[in-house]
Amino acid sequence: MQCLRNCGNFSFVRVAIAQITPHLGDVKKNFDLHLKYIKKAKKKKADLLIFPELSLTGYTLKDLIGEVALNPKKDSLFGELNAASRQISLIVGFVEEKEKGLFYNSAAFLSKGKILHIHRKVFLPTYGMFEEGKFFAQGRNFKTFLTPYGKMGMMICYDFLHYGASYLLFAGGSEIIIVPSAAPGRGLSDKECYETSRMWELMGSAISRFSSAFLIYCNRVGFEDGKHFAGGSFIYNPMGELIAQASYLDQDFLIQKINLADIREARKKWPYKRDDRPEIILESLKRIIRNNED
Amino acid sequence: MKINGSFVEKVLTAFIKQELSKFNYKKGILGLSGGLDSSVCTFLAAKALKPANVLALIMPYGESFKRDVEDAKEIAKLLGIRSKIIDISPMVNAYFSTYPTDNKIIKGNKMARERMAILYDFSAREKALILGTSNKTELLLGYGTIHGDMACGINPLGDLYKTQIKQLALHLGIPEKIRKKTPTAGLWTNQTDEKELGLSYAKMDKILFQLVDLRKSKKDVIASGFKKEEVEKIISLIKKSEFKRKLPPIVKISARTVGHDFLFPYDWDK
Repeated sequence: MQCLRNCGNFSFVRVAIAQITPHLGDVKKNFDLHLKYIKKAKKKKADLLIFPELSLTGYTLKDLIGEVALNPKKDSLFGELNAASRQISLIVGFVEEKEKGLFYNSAAFLSKGKILHIHRKVFLPTYGMFEEGKFFAQGRNFKTFLTPYGKMGMMICYDFLHYGASYLLFAGGSEIIIVPSAAPGRGLSDKECYETSRMWELMGSAISRFSSAFLIYCNRVGFEDGKHFAGGSFIYNPMGELIAQASYLDQDFLIQKINLADIREARKKWPYKRDDRPEIILESLKRIIRNNED
Repeated sequence: MKINGSFVEKVLTAFIKQELSKFNYKKGILGLSGGLDSSVCTFLAAKALKPANVLALIMPYGESFKRDVEDAKEIAKLLGIRSKIIDISPMVNAYFSTYPTDNKIIKGNKMARERMAILYDFSAREKALILGTSNKTELLLGYGTIHGDMACGINPLGDLYKTQIKQLALHLGIPEKIRKKTPTAGLWTNQTDEKELGLSYAKMDKILFQLVDLRKSKKDVIASGFKKEEVEKIISLIKKSEFKRKLPPIVKISARTVGHDFLFPYDWDK
């Protein structure tokens, strides 16, 4: 908690969202695309720039996964990203080869020249059109970590659709929850967006309110193998209100100043955090698991 | 099954534009029959690309379907795209003069494949990507010729049911006479899809939507107000035509095999 005293001097954070179309399987091109957005975000005086899930590689990788994997400790590309993070904090998505031959769908938080945290996607969608479980190793943790802007937590795309994951970040004390995503749109109606876009917004509103935390969702756009990533990145405040949203379907660059005092205000009014009882949840979970029978 | 016309138009035009750019094409090419589906696809292509970069091939068999040829020409003119009329009767007749048949389906399939061969030929001559026009209803029921009208480079219409294409056509401002046409595969005169399939598109689409999109069971679909025979017919058509929606199976005998565990994205290196 030492860091908080040193770093917690931000009242406002200028958050930038890069709603991009990564090039499938081309890390070099994507790295250049990242540099372009970093430059743009710095110009707009953003404190934090967020890229979508697998932003350095593209999504539908299949057997390409080993070719595009990076080791953040060894790859020079991360050296450059770390250097860039001296001026602006970054969240990037990539395939992480944590151990030889084990590939994770990861998102790294870089700040002040180093990686502060890596989240490895836990819930790998493997149903219908999704086959992540066939290619990726599964992450094992939802961890709240300290940043210059307060306590943060990350989930990647499908992680966010498992509310236990959000609870763990809430219990860990996350004040800002970030969800890099590569969510294909699906379902038509008479509305001018996919039905699934409404689903993400509903979750964003609910989880930000349940958690009395900012909820930042950064989705990508573009097509891969006919799948259409639906954009619509958004920020909800700790009261569950939408404060910024990027366009559906098009590439976009969103800048939003968030007021960290909103977290305190929300938690004063609705003391869900104060009244949380993780020990009861844990004991109940243990009982449920013990009694689980096939 | 209601769609938002402007949203779907935006998605499909973006798809056409981005796919062409990914695969390094400037031009799109498609077979334009003067019917609803190919007209909708032509409208979308003309919106997505510069009209000069859209080439519509109108490929009648001799003098049949004259009215459709006129309609197709009119659409090309209206959109300012390039078009070309190629009569397929010399090639088709040459073949059947050697191997005659009275089977209308065999003849129709040959015509569909002749058109496919011409489209692929012009695709190479013009360096233009082929836009498919098979809709979701046809794809699910297998109401198309494998390696014929089902062949294409990309298919912008394949996830819209016929009744949704009608809604999109209205939104796109497609002339009423095309929107009101009786759907036909055009394999022979007086053929209509609904007569051949034995059900109206409105009904087929409602049944398909429940079975496919909503994943309802046969029992539930029947309970929602359809005749048992109708639902069973649709299910049987879906099952019988699965081979048309897949690449043929390859016998797996090696350690890594195309179609089994040699798994790369379609958009590999694009």
